[in-house]
Amino acid sequence: MRTTLLIAGDSLRALLHQRLLVVLVLGTLGLTSAASVAMSYFTNKVVQASESASEASQDELDEAQLEQMRQGLEMSGTLVLGGFCWFTALAGSLVTLFICCTAVAGDLRRGTIRMILSRPVSRAQFLLGRFCGAAAVMLAFSALSAAAFVIYSYGHGLDLKLALAYAPWLMLCQNLMIGSAALLLSLLVHPAIAGVVALFASASFFSPPNPLYYILPSYDRFNLFFLFLQGRMISLEEILVLTLYALDVTAIFVLLALWRFRSRDLL
Amino acid sequence: MGVIRTEDLGKTYKGGTVALRGLDLEVKAGEVFGFLGPNGAGKSTTIQLLLNFIRPDTGSAFLFDRPVSCTEARQRLGYLPESVNLPGFHSGRGLLEFHGRLLGLTREDAARQAGERLERVGLGEAAGRRISEYSQGMLQRLGLGQALLDDPELLILDEPTSNLDPVARRDFRDILLDLKARGTTVFICSHILSEVESVCDRVAILQQGELKRVGTLEELSESGGSVVRARDLPAAAMEAVAAAGARLTVEGGASTISCADRRVLEEVEQILGRFGVEAERVETRNQSLEEIFFGAIEGQQKP
Repeated sequence: MRTTLLIAGDSLRALLHQRLLVVLVLGTLGLTSAASVAMSYFTNKVVQASESASEASQDELDEAQLEQMRQGLEMSGTLVLGGFCWFTALAGSLVTLFICCTAVAGDLRRGTIRMILSRPVSRAQFLLGRFCGAAAVMLAFSALSAAAFVIYSYGHGLDLKLALAYAPWLMLCQNLMIGSAALLLSLLVHPAIAGVVALFASASFFSPPNPLYYILPSYDRFNLFFLFLQGRMISLEEILVLTLYALDVTAIFVLLALWRFRSRDLL
Repeated sequence: MGVIRTEDLGKTYKGGTVALRGLDLEVKAGEVFGFLGPNGAGKSTTIQLLLNFIRPDTGSAFLFDRPVSCTEARQRLGYLPESVNLPGFHSGRGLLEFHGRLLGLTREDAARQAGERLERVGLGEAAGRRISEYSQGMLQRLGLGQALLDDPELLILDEPTSNLDPVARRDFRDILLDLKARGTTVFICSHILSEVESVCDRVAILQQGELKRVGTLEELSESGGSVVRARDLPAAAMEAVAAAGARLTVEGGASTISCADRRVLEEVEQILGRFGVEAERVETRNQSLEEIFFGAIEGQQKP
């Protein structure tokens, strides 16, 4: 455990020194915020236009029409928040793929793995350490996203509870799955190909009776954009089930990666 | 005790390239063992098998009488690869501290040893600098420093001086001699024969994945050839000497008998004794390691 943590710490330090990664994290968060602000700006324009129109013809609108308008406005606010959530989740997935595809494959390519494995360090400890380091970055990204949610929601007077309740947590769960899939695939194919396959190897691209639908993990339910669109919260039980599902899938992928890494020649 | 032991060790890479075949080797505690061979002979493959980086197709390898797959066997080991690739974000000191912690040292011990080893390899002043700013020679020194952490009982060095300047090479040889005096087992793989010759107790010569020769320099050199000089050799003795495989030249009454190896020499000495002839002189030519090396890989002794 101590060795695994040492390698995880070293991995984390290495990731923090990767300028490209830092730029990617901050850039994606910045871009997400900018896109959301732009969306929000246009929504406000629409709201203001609607309000002006309603004031101009107030006498002609009945209560039912006003209620319908209010619901429409609420919907647009939720849509913006959902969009923000979707952008952030996508950015998180990209960061995860970048980290996990190179977590072990990068060391293999550079040859830095040899010095470490000449120490009393097993391959399992090395791989788990690298994955734990990557998971720590994913956690940090989710925490940053949560902070961005808070700031953004306060700034736009949106329903904070809805945004904060589970979005960052489910994003982390999804990233753990994608990251573990990328880690496994990077031991089998070129890291770039591994990244693409890991992102698109989702059951959501298939439907029964295609066997891939039953084999591949499903990321869809971890993206809250559609729930925001439906305007509903998910229950705590559902979050628990989704968390267990994500941990299960992650564990399977990591075990497969360990099995592959254990028998692989480090050329 | 055999610090390193291999039994019928073999490796064939994908595509059918046979890198190593049936290697039987034993390196004893306290030995400085030179592992020689031309490029592609299988030296690096052997080291990778010993460190469990790759898996053998045949046979097995042991470190400290434990299978190389056993993680604990690497607790008492230091390794310096041919090309030292280190993460550039660490400082020299930071890297050694990290490796010290991997060896199980406390934070304080790791920091103390890191400082000592950096001084020892001449990087004391560059200890705080980032590794990405190090030259190739400095990287090689740093690699040696990390290999020396926690005073390993076995040091595996793969072309350790390939990137070093003459001054650094001399320093390296001094470190190696110091380790030898302390009883550290060193397995050194090098192309620089003079370097190996000056420090090694035994050498092995590998070619195309096969072990050609192994032994002390004296053993290998003696087998290179001896010359016996004698006078008035009877005709029957000359015939017997020729039949034993020795080469005979006669000038006047003086016979010169060239023996290719120790076995032939012993046989010639017995023949002379049987015929009552006393050898005037027996000269055993000491070969340099270079001569032994080329003799082994070319299948003939270099003149």
